[in-house]
Amino acid sequence: MNVDPSQIEPFGDAALLVSWPGGIDPATNDLVHALAERLRSARREGAGWGAPVPSYSSLLATFDPLRLGTEEARSALLALLQEPLPVAAASSGMVLEVPVRYGGTHGPDLEEVARRTGLSPAQVIELHAARTYRAYLLGFAPGFAYLGTLPPELHLPRRATPRQRVPAGSVAIAAAQTAVYPLATPGGWHLLGRTELRLWDAQRDPPALIRPGQVVRFVPLPG
Amino acid sequence: MLEVIEPGLLTTVQDFGRPDFVDLGVPAGGACDGWSLAVANALAGNARDAAALELTLAGPSLRALDHCLLGLAGADLVARVVETGERVASGTSFTLAAGHTLAFAAASERAGIRAYLAPAGGVDVPIVLGSASTCLVGGFGGLDGRPLSAGDVVRLGSRSTIENDNRLHWKGGPQPALEATRRPLRVLPGPHLYGLPLSSFERLLASEYRVSARGDRQGIVLEGPPLPAAGRQSEMLSQGVPWGAIQLPPDGRPICLLADHGTVGGYPVVAVVISADLPLLGQLGPGDPLTFRQVSPADASTALRRQAADWQAGLAALEHP
Repeated sequence: MNVDPSQIEPFGDAALLVSWPGGIDPATNDLVHALAERLRSARREGAGWGAPVPSYSSLLATFDPLRLGTEEARSALLALLQEPLPVAAASSGMVLEVPVRYGGTHGPDLEEVARRTGLSPAQVIELHAARTYRAYLLGFAPGFAYLGTLPPELHLPRRATPRQRVPAGSVAIAAAQTAVYPLATPGGWHLLGRTELRLWDAQRDPPALIRPGQVVRFVPLPG
Repeated sequence: MLEVIEPGLLTTVQDFGRPDFVDLGVPAGGACDGWSLAVANALAGNARDAAALELTLAGPSLRALDHCLLGLAGADLVARVVETGERVASGTSFTLAAGHTLAFAAASERAGIRAYLAPAGGVDVPIVLGSASTCLVGGFGGLDGRPLSAGDVVRLGSRSTIENDNRLHWKGGPQPALEATRRPLRVLPGPHLYGLPLSSFERLLASEYRVSARGDRQGIVLEGPPLPAAGRQSEMLSQGVPWGAIQLPPDGRPICLLADHGTVGGYPVVAVVISADLPLLGQLGPGDPLTFRQVSPADASTALRRQAADWQAGLAALEHP
């Protein structure tokens, strides 16, 4: 595959947006995280880069606008891309198992998800827990990993009205994604269950249990 | 130490934030008006990025448990030493005797919404993920990850270069709190990738907005003529977004992102406020009028360099009045 980004364009006066063609696919996401790693090392060497924000198939490369102009930043980025990006750099290979209590008070939306997908609650659980997911990126809140992709049978748009407060540890789905809410925050995803794993702890090193590129599997707990 | 008698509307510990954890979804955070934080710190003899208190609209009431020197900058939230009646102007340093109380009264005609109160030596809180800043969404940093509340005691650090109680006055340089509503915010167009109609950007530049009451440290919502929001947003995946990005949700009401904004967003971005004007963005509050003006990347760079020069000139004037 072509590992070069299709587009590098200014995003304000302190960032470049680097985009690859394609949407949610592991190979592209590996390139995104590989470039993020390259930018972090260039940042440590004091090259004027800020911390990059990797996403599915794009990366926000921030820089200090007093040290780099937009064109200088673009040239520096192209120089970082001269050596082809390694493929499959971010995936650690280790599967993180997340034990989940599905349904009931743990997953108040399980019944509704079953009804709307034409499945039984047991089938929803089985489908959700049957495959491994990849953490494409972290965002929305500290430690919130966007995990994909969900089996097509479970795809549903977000709830029409978001909840004001979703409990920490809630396991949820929306569109092609699933996630665990690391903190009690507002949220519009459908809640299937809850885990007792502590996804985020600012005092822990590393603070986020799920890292970008990590592979995750959900394991149903009885009751 | 400072004892919190009344906490104010939203008083948090802020420095220049924690930019290194954005890939973990942690907002970079820090002072919404970084220029005024730096001025308050300079007045207190601190490093420009030392931890201080960010005050919002209605300031707190704070009693000094020991004699202390403080710098105050940003919006004039009408500070007064209760016991002496002394009025403390924004852009000055002052002392608070042990047992005396600093209080704020809402201004009848306000300009700006955020003030910075920097104790000499800084605010002493644990450094979490590289910063003293309060991360409200994450519930960490600052004072237990939350705004000040009555009964808190704010501990002060000891690293200040000022050895006497001479009152200082910051002269010159930009005053974001005063400028925020008096001139257009300067913007660059958003990335082309978003596929918004060009008319969205043109309409943004031609329209007059007011800041809605829905606003916080993550962003402010603008009220005014809705912008054409058509385009490819339905198929847009979340992408990293910078501070100052002006997002356009399907309802066409722009949202300007501030220091605590989410690291990624799924809305198209119609424009981005230039770095030099981010402090102004941080001073806009409910009901404030707002317009935008396009500048070139070269203008944006010049404005930032001028600001850096203003900073050096301001520091020199403090040291050699």
